[in-house]
Amino acid sequence: MAETTWRPASARGAGGATATTRAWRVWSSAAIVTAVVLAVLVVPPVVNLDEQAVHLADKLLPPSWEHPFGTDDVGRDLLVRCVYGLRVSLLVGIVAAVVATVVGTAVGALAAACGGWVDRIVMRLVDVFASVPHLLLGIFIVAMFRPGVWPVVISVGLTHWLSTARIVRAEVLSLRSRPYVDAAISGGASRWRVTVRHLLPGVLPQAGLAAVLMVPHAIWHESALSFLGLGLPTHQASLGTLVQGARSSLLAGDWWPTLFPGLFIIVPTLAIAGLAGAWRERINPRRRSELML
Amino acid sequence: MLELRSVTAGYDRRDPVVRDVHLTVAPGEAVGLLGPSGCGKSTLARVAALLHRPDRGQVVIDGEVARGWRHRAPRAQRTAFGVVFQQPRLSADPRLTLTQLIAEPLRATGRAAEVPGRVADLARTVGLGDDLLARRPHEVSDGQLQRACLARALVLDPRWLICDEMTAMLDASTTAALVAAVEGYRARTGAGLLAVGHDKVLLERWCDRTVHWDELSGDAAADRTT
Amino acid sequence: MTAPAPAPAPVLSVQGLSVRFRMRGGAYVSAVTDARFDLAAGECLALVGESGCGKSVLASALLGLLPANAETAGSALLGDLDLLTADERTLARTVRGRRVGLVPQSPAAHLTPVRTVRSQLEETLRELTGVRRPELREAAEAAADRASFPRGHLDRHPHELSGGLAQRAATALALVGDAPLLLADEPTTGLDRELVDRTVDELRRHVGDDRALLLITHDLAAARRVADRVAVMYASRIVEIADAESFFGDPGPRHPYARGLLNALPEREFTPIPGMPPELSALPDGCAFAPRCVRADEACTALPVLAGGGGGAGRDGAGRDGAGPDGAGRDGAGPDGAGDRGVEDRRVDDGRVESQGVACHHPHTHPRTVALEAPRA
Repeated sequence: MAETTWRPASARGAGGATATTRAWRVWSSAAIVTAVVLAVLVVPPVVNLDEQAVHLADKLLPPSWEHPFGTDDVGRDLLVRCVYGLRVSLLVGIVAAVVATVVGTAVGALAAACGGWVDRIVMRLVDVFASVPHLLLGIFIVAMFRPGVWPVVISVGLTHWLSTARIVRAEVLSLRSRPYVDAAISGGASRWRVTVRHLLPGVLPQAGLAAVLMVPHAIWHESALSFLGLGLPTHQASLGTLVQGARSSLLAGDWWPTLFPGLFIIVPTLAIAGLAGAWRERINPRRRSELML
Repeated sequence: MLELRSVTAGYDRRDPVVRDVHLTVAPGEAVGLLGPSGCGKSTLARVAALLHRPDRGQVVIDGEVARGWRHRAPRAQRTAFGVVFQQPRLSADPRLTLTQLIAEPLRATGRAAEVPGRVADLARTVGLGDDLLARRPHEVSDGQLQRACLARALVLDPRWLICDEMTAMLDASTTAALVAAVEGYRARTGAGLLAVGHDKVLLERWCDRTVHWDELSGDAAADRTT
Repeated sequence: MTAPAPAPAPVLSVQGLSVRFRMRGGAYVSAVTDARFDLAAGECLALVGESGCGKSVLASALLGLLPANAETAGSALLGDLDLLTADERTLARTVRGRRVGLVPQSPAAHLTPVRTVRSQLEETLRELTGVRRPELREAAEAAADRASFPRGHLDRHPHELSGGLAQRAATALALVGDAPLLLADEPTTGLDRELVDRTVDELRRHVGDDRALLLITHDLAAARRVADRVAVMYASRIVEIADAESFFGDPGPRHPYARGLLNALPEREFTPIPGMPPELSALPDGCAFAPRCVRADEACTALPVLAGGGGGAGRDGAGRDGAGPDGAGRDGAGPDGAGDRGVEDRRVDDGRVESQGVACHHPHTHPRTVALEAPRA
């Protein structure tokens, strides 16, 4: 028999092209996220620059070799401030996202696992929370505390668990009606075992994805609160306080104190969202079986 | 003796899908329940296996009236039943390997020590090769996965088997193999069987007697034992 | 025998179609190997086999719906278009729905849950036939009538339909484009016997004289009810193509696997074929069925080839074999191996060539040809 000549199947859609674009997006996102993590972890201790150092003589210098991002209105180097700011923002974003996800998963799983009146009351509470704009709620929470990192974390965390709770509840409810849960019950599994062994593992990828997607959102929220002057104290560099502090200079035509912190908000958050998107495609059930058995 | 007495069940109290059904399975007997799809026979099967609480009526297992359903049923009562469902894909936790799948009831009942021996034993009974046991559900075919699901149902030595359309998705040879495995188990242990399905030829060949759904409900009841 | 009329071109001609999947780590899984068959207008070919044998992959290949890690070989000619090499644009714009109608496995999942049957029919009509507003309503009703979908249920959503009605709705959608080839992938899974019968009868009716139906199923009773020919697939290969009447009826299947499959039916011996099919990632070099086969011997370590099936080899074989109209010319597999192809092409009354074949070194022989078979120890 003649040797078989194989060719790639004419892939579906612009399959080849999107695959390349997708890979490119994932790799560039990964590169940016890696760079950001290195910058915030490694640069401050190693470089040991004083981000608070004031040089009034150098105030509002445009970008140059010496100060690639320029300086602000009291002569502090903006690149250094941006890296420190990102460090604070990322910390706030990650901790807040974890808080929100843990609260959301617990509430959602509790509601679904108990069912009945517990479910009804909990989900009605979620609706009530959701009916208030969460930025407003966040402002209300930070206003109760002295400005600082932790009130912001609490404010962002406590206003963002709602969607996670809904996702987790829906997922647990749908898993709970699967025949494999019936089979587990018939096999003598306790309620606890069914939840821990069969329900939660099915939900965790979704919850993890929600957490990652929430990091950029939380960063934006921190920035928004700080921009409104309610978040971090103004001397502490965070991306939000940087943009806020730059408002007056922007009116004077000095663009760099606004642009660079702004880019520092946008680019890393997009990169994180890009990675989360790739993860979502991985856990998408339609892609699970490559064999089509 | 497994008795369903005037069972009414469903998902909406105003419109139950199972109405006043009587059905009896004697020890060691194989009863086939025939009915069109969507008639409620799967719901009845879940009631019989204590997996769905009926709105009215009783399930009596060897003279003992069932008081609770699902987790509220005593473990000894729940595990007296081995259940196999129609769709193996939905009946298997996608994260477990076939070995873990089959062993799960042993672990859940604190008999983990017996796992290696029992799993190997049952894998042979249902015709699963060793190389398949390490795989996860998406790496095997429907027929292979259903064999594992049957092994799981047998692992606690149930006195009653409830097979809900067990072979509806399978080819003729796998169907015959699974039925042979069930019958082998029953011959060895004397377990009773309630096989629910829509394939008249299959159930009549497989079971001691078959009842049609229409004969069960309401006045027609009385479960004519032949 | 009168000189046969020139055979009309088949609707679908599959030649040497193979599909394999590239897995992580560079291994390959062969899902379809060297499938060959022709499908003529007015004909229904049932492709049967157990789950995981590759029959659904074959269907996906014909529709251009293979995942990105798939590779193909051979050809599948629909008219003059090779479905395996056509690009996605061509497939989407001129093939799916227009030249190949798909009757799906689970209609409930195939229909859009949030829209009524009418709106889905109308959209498909607009897309495929270009019918516009005023006539659209009537056209949708006509399309529903064709599949015996009751007009009164047109404004329902898919979840409000019974299994049988959902199947008819999906069939109505598949018929809209007047495609010459209907491809039904397990259209009866999970339906009752009566519904199965009705569904396949309706499919058969739609085939009529000018369409072809490729019915992919594991349900032998459904295949028996409507198929003109049966192709049996085992471990990625078509191991037998036979006339449905002789396959299910008197002489019976010739391949030991096909025979075992039929014998497993509850109305027959109800005995399973021992063992399990091999892994598609580790197919043996020889006959893949040999480890489960009582007839297997050393000859089976060499791969038996199914010639015929409408392929060039089959046509050559017709002359060489000189098969008579009853196909009984010479099909005993002698121990000398001369007959191990077991091919028979026969000319039916309208002059069409019906290819048949079996890929086995020791096929079962038809009773009336037993005398021709050399005795075997």
